[in-house]
Amino acid sequence: MAKKTAYMGMLTALALVFSYIEFLLPVNLGIPGIKLGLANLAVMVTLYIISARAAFTLSLVRILLTGFTFANLSMMIYSLAGGMLSLIIMILVKRSNLFSVTGVSVLGGVFHNLGQIIAAALVVETAGLLYYLPVLILSGTISGVLIGILSSILIQRLTKLINDMQN
Amino acid sequence: MKNGESLKKIYRVIILLAGVLILGSFSLIQLQKNNLKQYQGQFFDCFDTVTAITGYAGSQEDFSQKMELLRQKLMHYHQLYDIYHTYEGINNIKSINDAAGKNPVKVDKEIIELLKIGKEMYEKTDGKLQIVYGSVLSLWHEYRERGMENPKQAQLPPKEELIRRAGHTDIGKLILNEQASTVYLADEEMSLDVGSIGKGYAVQRLAEYAREIGMEHVLISVGGNVCAVGTKADQTPWLVGVENPDLDSSEPYVCVIELANQSAVTSGDYQRYYEVDHTRYCHIIDPDTNMPPEYFSSVTVKTDDSGMADALSTSLFNMEYEAGRTLVEGLPGVEAMWIGKDGEIRCSSGFEYNEKK
Amino acid sequence: MKKNDVILVVALALLSLAVFGGIKLYSGFSTREPEAVIYLDGEEKGRYSLSHNITLEIRQDHGAYNIFEIKNGKAKITEASCPDKVCVNHRPVSGQGESLVCLPNRVVVEIENGEKLDIDAETN
Repeated sequence: MAKKTAYMGMLTALALVFSYIEFLLPVNLGIPGIKLGLANLAVMVTLYIISARAAFTLSLVRILLTGFTFANLSMMIYSLAGGMLSLIIMILVKRSNLFSVTGVSVLGGVFHNLGQIIAAALVVETAGLLYYLPVLILSGTISGVLIGILSSILIQRLTKLINDMQN
Repeated sequence: MKNGESLKKIYRVIILLAGVLILGSFSLIQLQKNNLKQYQGQFFDCFDTVTAITGYAGSQEDFSQKMELLRQKLMHYHQLYDIYHTYEGINNIKSINDAAGKNPVKVDKEIIELLKIGKEMYEKTDGKLQIVYGSVLSLWHEYRERGMENPKQAQLPPKEELIRRAGHTDIGKLILNEQASTVYLADEEMSLDVGSIGKGYAVQRLAEYAREIGMEHVLISVGGNVCAVGTKADQTPWLVGVENPDLDSSEPYVCVIELANQSAVTSGDYQRYYEVDHTRYCHIIDPDTNMPPEYFSSVTVKTDDSGMADALSTSLFNMEYEAGRTLVEGLPGVEAMWIGKDGEIRCSSGFEYNEKK
Repeated sequence: MKKNDVILVVALALLSLAVFGGIKLYSGFSTREPEAVIYLDGEEKGRYSLSHNITLEIRQDHGAYNIFEIKNGKAKITEASCPDKVCVNHRPVSGQGESLVCLPNRVVVEIENGEKLDIDAETN
């Protein structure tokens, strides 16, 4: 229990740092919502080495904290919509055992973008935003692959480390 | 086991909080956004011209309701300042004209206010703004209407008749009694025509009324008499194009001016006119010559008060450039732009505008 | 990476292409072209695309008429029975929300789906 809490604390801190880095160095391609999603690395690791519930908490805590510290209200709403949708999808897909870490991460990335754009379309009340849809699916896929490869390496090493420590 | 229970409770609280947060922020954004939706509407029954209102409201119905309030308010002024029609239960400018030389007429204080401004402006403009000029204007009106109906037989009003009628335009014979709220024309042949100030004064009042009913960002245009209440909702000024008097030109505007809590009014010779022997005679008449002035194609005045802008644009249209320029430079907060018959543009020292791209 | 992952990535790439194509196709159909809408007494009487030149007469029972023309993508009233001729002395219109108004004949021509204007009002 104590160990789990310690891991959670570290991973949450990591997720916050990742969010902050992305906030400081935004990748501006002229289309809102495109980013690497580094924070998802921490979420993925938590999902695989701790539990779905822990991943959920981490994700929520990260979004609320970034929202209150350096993002603004509307950014937080989009983030919430994207983060929650993507997490639910990732949990379900992981349970299905159809895909590896990369596949889960890819779907997470795509649905994160989808969640954000749906929330934005609801708030701004213009279907026009849906024109970004294809770009966002593509960018979600690409960043999902990158984050997926990174997190599968991390998960492998961390699992080994934890097992070593426990032995 | 106990540990797991309390953990579950914490999760529930977290989820609940997240839900409340999402809903709360959505409604907050909804509220913010509602103020930001821009609507536009028109109506056609006031001051014989088109009134266009651009403003912000939560919904189309909300905006339509406010439009209707504004329409009723403007209609009230339209009826008060009408010189052609009488309305039941209202003593208006026509009632005063009808009683000229006979008796004082008790009128609404909005008429007294307007006529007071008219007298003031007469002094300020050396008689270039004339509100008791109805006898001459009506003669021109008659000849213009007939000339447009039948362009081949279009004629100018006879000189002698113009001069005779100009003898009945002594503003000293416009007698205002503020206490009794009455107006009396002490010359039977004299008549009021407030066409050069009534609309502007009404628009200024309408702008104040718009504020009263909670519209803080509105652009009102009553036939090109434009008045900005506040800025646009995003705090940027309203952009108003000054129409190019050359209607055949492909450039619709001469320039674009920015308005925030200000008015712009233009007097020009290119919209209402008739032609006699291929010469254009517009609807504005110079009280000194009893003829349409030939100095400019249009004059635009920008200032805080719409009534002032309206009165001044007519006066400046009737004045030579130098005299007008002196007048404008002596009035604080008033700027003007003169467009000559040849298209030459001259501006007062503080007149700011954006060149047409 | 599993084989399924590769299939997923390829499928998503194809999907984004398909959605892109779909949107292009849909917007191709739904982009409406600029039209002049004629109102008489506030009632819509007809809409005419600005891309076709036409001339037509808006005639009313009591002899009032306005001659309406679309030429080179712009709408204009070229002749009218009204006494003030303000509608005739108006420049041709084509911008979003611009209008030609003949108050005496209660005729209004309004542009829909026109090019967006960079001003909020006009003083004239």
